[in-house]
Amino acid sequence: METEATVSEFQQMLSARGVSRRSFMKLCGAVAVAAGLSELAAPRVAQALESSVIGAAKGKLYPVIWIEGASCTGCTEAFAKLEAPDAASIVLEMISLNYSETLSAAAGESMELAKEQTIKECAGNYILVYEGAVLEGWGGQALRVADKPGTEHLYEAAESAAVVVALGSCAVNGGWMGAHPNQAGALGVQEYLKKQGVGTPVVNVPGCPANPEWLVAVLADVVLLSLAPSELDLTSEGKPAGIFGQTVHDNCERRGHFENGEFVYEFGSKEEALGYCLYPLGCRGPQTKANCGVVLYNNRRSWCVQAGAPCIGCCEANPNDPGHNWVEVNTPFYKRHRDLRIGDWMVQPGTIALGITGILAAALVVHGFGMKITGRMDGGADFEKVRSWDAKHPDKSIGKYDAADVPNDKKEGR
Amino acid sequence: MTRSVIDPITRIEGHLRVEMEVENGKVSDAWVSGGCFRGMEMVVENRTPEDAAQIVQRICGVCPVSHAHASSIAAEKAYGIKISNNARIIRNLLEGSQFLHSNILWFYNLAALDYVNPLNALKADPADAYALALEAGTSTNSDFVALKERLSAFADNGQLSIFSGNWFDAEDGTAYTLPPELDLICTAHYLEALTMQAKASEISALLGGKMPHIMTLVPGGTSFVPTDQKLDDLKGLVDELYTWVASTMIPDTLALAPHYADAFDWGKGCGRYLAWGVFENQSMEMVDRYLPMGVLDDSLSLSDAQESLITEYVGRSWYKGSDSYNAPYFTTEPEYTSYDVNDRYTWVKCPSYDGKPYEATSLSRILVAYKRNVPFVVEQVDSLLEALGAPGQISIAQSTLGRTAIRQIETLYIAGLMKEWVDELIEAVKSGDGEYFRKPEGITGAGTGFWEAPRGALYHSEEVKDGKITGYQIIIPSTWNLAPRDAQGVPGPLEQALVGVPVGDIEKPINALRTVHSFDPCTACAVHITEPATGKSFETVTSPWGVK
Repeated sequence: METEATVSEFQQMLSARGVSRRSFMKLCGAVAVAAGLSELAAPRVAQALESSVIGAAKGKLYPVIWIEGASCTGCTEAFAKLEAPDAASIVLEMISLNYSETLSAAAGESMELAKEQTIKECAGNYILVYEGAVLEGWGGQALRVADKPGTEHLYEAAESAAVVVALGSCAVNGGWMGAHPNQAGALGVQEYLKKQGVGTPVVNVPGCPANPEWLVAVLADVVLLSLAPSELDLTSEGKPAGIFGQTVHDNCERRGHFENGEFVYEFGSKEEALGYCLYPLGCRGPQTKANCGVVLYNNRRSWCVQAGAPCIGCCEANPNDPGHNWVEVNTPFYKRHRDLRIGDWMVQPGTIALGITGILAAALVVHGFGMKITGRMDGGADFEKVRSWDAKHPDKSIGKYDAADVPNDKKEGR
Repeated sequence: MTRSVIDPITRIEGHLRVEMEVENGKVSDAWVSGGCFRGMEMVVENRTPEDAAQIVQRICGVCPVSHAHASSIAAEKAYGIKISNNARIIRNLLEGSQFLHSNILWFYNLAALDYVNPLNALKADPADAYALALEAGTSTNSDFVALKERLSAFADNGQLSIFSGNWFDAEDGTAYTLPPELDLICTAHYLEALTMQAKASEISALLGGKMPHIMTLVPGGTSFVPTDQKLDDLKGLVDELYTWVASTMIPDTLALAPHYADAFDWGKGCGRYLAWGVFENQSMEMVDRYLPMGVLDDSLSLSDAQESLITEYVGRSWYKGSDSYNAPYFTTEPEYTSYDVNDRYTWVKCPSYDGKPYEATSLSRILVAYKRNVPFVVEQVDSLLEALGAPGQISIAQSTLGRTAIRQIETLYIAGLMKEWVDELIEAVKSGDGEYFRKPEGITGAGTGFWEAPRGALYHSEEVKDGKITGYQIIIPSTWNLAPRDAQGVPGPLEQALVGVPVGDIEKPINALRTVHSFDPCTACAVHITEPATGKSFETVTSPWGVK
């Protein structure tokens, strides 16, 4: 029992790091909410977190390989900014981050060896976090690591993983690289693995960057609650349902102003200082599914709307279609419409409306000429000299007609 | 003669490979290869300048603010807008918070593991560590006893996590020379730095919604409007950050330096420096920036930057053709051939200034500020040189360790400026100035944003027609630093810096890694594609049916 962590040891460790029991429980509550559990699940999460610290009976840290694909490193950066639990605690006391191009002490060949060993020795028992897009351009050479195409690295690491976390919108479906003209051949992890016949389950966590608390929620489910990938509550697109089940608009702090019709019409205006709704400036909150307004960013410091910026829909990502990425779907960001693209042509909804109006007008003109040419317009219907009602009821008629026009039989009554 | 390869280079942003020829224990030749092509400029084509300011941030998750900033400056030039004073201050604060985050993260969490061995800290005596910290004048916020216990527990568990495959045993264990107590102090500061860079990013989030990829920096100013509460939070965060930076970073640097003094002897590189300048003053002139614009030649003599002297060459990179192009009319079509150091070997193109390779780093900025007599920088550089036992010898800064040390001066300078800007903003708001955003008047034009990312000089140029971008070019600092051979076969700045670096261990060439990290490279940034401002090459690489 000597090696089993007790709560008091754990608390000592927390207090040594200046984390109070209270703020720890607050975190557990947050993790629970982020994971789609109720706040009441906090004690359960706490217990799971506590029993996984160093020295616990099941002392092994859960191995994780974190591969940078075609990324900006923004999701790693976001992860490194986690405060509670801080990134150091996670990589020292929760997971064994055996391969990370951004954080690992090793480099070069030694780094690749660490990855290979993890794949071999922990087969079926490690998590692969893949950040950035998969690039198929030039046979995968658009992304070269250790003298190999990036796609090979993904394939090798994904094949034996327990679960693959596609972290960030780029990993989900290519992100901005999938936007026209998609020169590098970007696509998402799920689609690539499907094409390659790799059956490892994929959890899609979009966002640009993905909120690190969403990753922690997934890690907590897999590592700490030991949920099998099939037990995770995912949407039809493989995204955690608790996080990506509702729209940004649903949980927006400015929602009340939307209901009241109080809007910001220009950046940096008085209305902005009053915290009015950003809908007229193109806010994509109503159509973007994520719980940003609940979890917030950077240790709950703020989030886009709170700082005065309309949502640009960075969580929009269809894992099966690189063309349906957040940039393509949402630009121009600050307008309420989106640009449509037919091949290389950019078209605006207004242009389409004008086009349709023009086609309709032209069709009507053609139709008119056609009618004229075929003679169907000539004279039109016969002119009615006497209204038929008047003709039937001459006694009640107030119309004035030439006598010659009134049919005789009608004059004489029925 | 042997080859030594580091691929992947870790603790950087993006994908980088370094291949070196080693002769008599020293690097005799080097090739630096950027490993990823993503195609940014083509994506912003045909979208609005406002969209571009958002999208280009995704070049880099470490310095998104700089990209948004440079892109917005380019758009404002194209539109003919001068931003309001409040917007200028808020944007300085946003940029400053990102510099603090980036510099802290780079020094402690990326570069430090080349010098510090946290596993060696297990041998430390915490009491001696306190004594040493006091002697070095560095901060003792952490509980060294608890930290040592934490490290012991980690080591006992046996899994190495981020230390898997480490190089701490390089050169038969002689490469890491710190006493265990200093390793313990620096490990404590590694962990504190993680928190402090997160705090710096909280400032970005407060002003920008989230970090990375801030939301409020828009062409025309800022969509952020301060409230009393936000100003209050801002002041608290800025003060806390300044206190930590001032009490920790330079003392740590001075404590580390004597143990690695040989790293002052190599890693100079091309010895020419350029900086476009960063942090706007009221005049909004590049020479008046808090860190001003300037170009330093071989003899460190100063001149003003000229856009027309910038060229880009693609003959050694994976793009079609072997031409040089003048700014801002670059053109490129990506085409992977094969990795061949005698021909093409990188996705990074080769920019030149006045026909020569130039270094664009934090060192460039500080040297330019020093030559332009920015008082704080002059005073700090002089006192750092004196503390290093080389008074007046600016040449020792032109080295691997010099480049690593001098960045701390910049960090301290910016941390202090942040405090000034907060006061300035509070005064401006108190005086009733409520202007944050100026709406674009014209929607056709062209403009260039000369700016700085934490890694060095950053250039965004765009041409706009009827509100849509018709041409967009970016030259990023790492493109300068990680450039391959130029048209004359002259190696790029990092390739030159690697030559002469001692290699005691072909498998784990730690000094080469130290040199690479001193540049703070970011290949995520460095590789991208440009095309002519006229947009005419568009048809040649695309078709109405999509791109092949």
